[in-house]
Amino acid sequence: MADGATIRDRTAVSGIGVSRFAFAAEETPLGLAAEAFKAALVDAGLTKDAVDGLAINIGWPLGVDYDRFAETLGLRIRFVEQAWTHGRFAGPTLQAAAMAIHTGLATCVACLCGVSFTRERQLLGGPGDFEGTREEGGTHQENPVYGMTAPAAGAALAAQRYFALYGATSQELAAVPIAFRKHALLNPGALMKKPLSLEEHQRSRWIVEPLHLFDCCLVTDGAACVLVTSAERSRDRRKPPVLIAGMQGLRAGRDDVLFGRPGLGLWQQRTFRWTPADDDLLVYRMASLTQRDVGALYTYDAFSPLVWFVLERFGFCGPGEAAKWTQGGRIELGGELPMNTSGGLLSEAHVSGWNSIVELVRQLRGEAGPRQVPGIQVAQWATAWGDSLIFRR
Amino acid sequence: MSGYAKPLPRITPDNGPFWEAARRHELRLQRCLACGQVWYPPAPVCPGCLSDRHQWAPMSGRGTVSSFVVFHKAWFPAFASETPYAVVQVELEEGPRLTANLVDVPPGEIRVGMPVTVVFDDVTPEISIPRFRRAP
Repeated sequence: MADGATIRDRTAVSGIGVSRFAFAAEETPLGLAAEAFKAALVDAGLTKDAVDGLAINIGWPLGVDYDRFAETLGLRIRFVEQAWTHGRFAGPTLQAAAMAIHTGLATCVACLCGVSFTRERQLLGGPGDFEGTREEGGTHQENPVYGMTAPAAGAALAAQRYFALYGATSQELAAVPIAFRKHALLNPGALMKKPLSLEEHQRSRWIVEPLHLFDCCLVTDGAACVLVTSAERSRDRRKPPVLIAGMQGLRAGRDDVLFGRPGLGLWQQRTFRWTPADDDLLVYRMASLTQRDVGALYTYDAFSPLVWFVLERFGFCGPGEAAKWTQGGRIELGGELPMNTSGGLLSEAHVSGWNSIVELVRQLRGEAGPRQVPGIQVAQWATAWGDSLIFRR
Repeated sequence: MSGYAKPLPRITPDNGPFWEAARRHELRLQRCLACGQVWYPPAPVCPGCLSDRHQWAPMSGRGTVSSFVVFHKAWFPAFASETPYAVVQVELEEGPRLTANLVDVPPGEIRVGMPVTVVFDDVTPEISIPRFRRAP
């Protein structure tokens, strides 16, 4: 069916697990991933023999590759999917797992992300940023010839352009990291433990102007594991299933750039008043839901502006409206649309978004303690790059 | 050997003519001989019609700053003496956008929409890097 409804609610998350998160873990990515994997098995009430699929988000050198993991953990795997070093592949990795389950290629897929950003810090900017020359920079917009390096630079370029187009300000942008810090303070597992004020945000050093320190994610080590299985099998597990109701894929093309949304006029994008078309919102049609049904929204918040871009990309507000829209506690717990309730990459830890997906599952199971969104039935993962999954109880 | 310590471009079959033109102080981009589209970055086919027939057409060198960032920390050691330094995105009159630096414009004076024009910086005997200055 063109709207993908045949997969609606047919697959589910049946187990979640995390390692400890740390600013510089002693464990290797392999050790961290093993810890998360074992925790997910316990959560689901399964043994390792139940896992016959591996979907890895971030392989070597930031994380662990599928073959090494399967060998180390003594697994017998018949379906493998692996992304490379890009955190944004959290959604596509989950989607691959769900599709493998739905088509019968596997019965239980472990989606794994175990990363050590602190061990491989040189990849994040400077002479070791070998992606700076990737096919002329591509959508990263990095270019070492001009001193353009580090992921933050691309996000800063997008933020500057957005500020100029819509009259938005850094003070308004601060609402995003401040909200997520409040969430982190309610999360014992979060690495950031002190409240963040607007003044501290504004006073903090530039990472790449116009992005301040607190507009940029933490650089940490950690792992998470999400077990995906059929909805039918998931009903026999220890915990209630969290159903995958809909999904849509990552976008690419000249109108899509990293760290922006279409229409902004970054890199080789056209500049135009972009609003989502039907195909940009397939995830809702597949799930038979609308934005109004979403109880909490989770996104890849590597940089504050990405939160604005995802809100506009998925039609929660119009183009250029996110700066105003995110003021006044709207994206905080207790607000109209709580986002990244564990603190996200900005304040919990950078496990490439998997920490937020784990949190989303906890929320739908009612396990989020003081962070619990009351009565939540539906939660969405959606990124500024246009990929998304909708989960429901 | 020159004393230029900053990163140099990696010359590839796709971008070679761009850098050969820059050495002659010409800004040339690919223009499709089938559909007329001008594109950047250099690539073997036209993103509009996939034709592999193109010419390296001279550009006006004029454009505007469409966005910019300022680096206060030097990730590359050779940029350390210049911090804070700006990197701009220039939208050429012909459409494509280039990443570049501005010469003779302090970062605090850069604005989105600022008109600029290309200049060439001879950094080694083989390489001249296109940068931009404020348009008169």
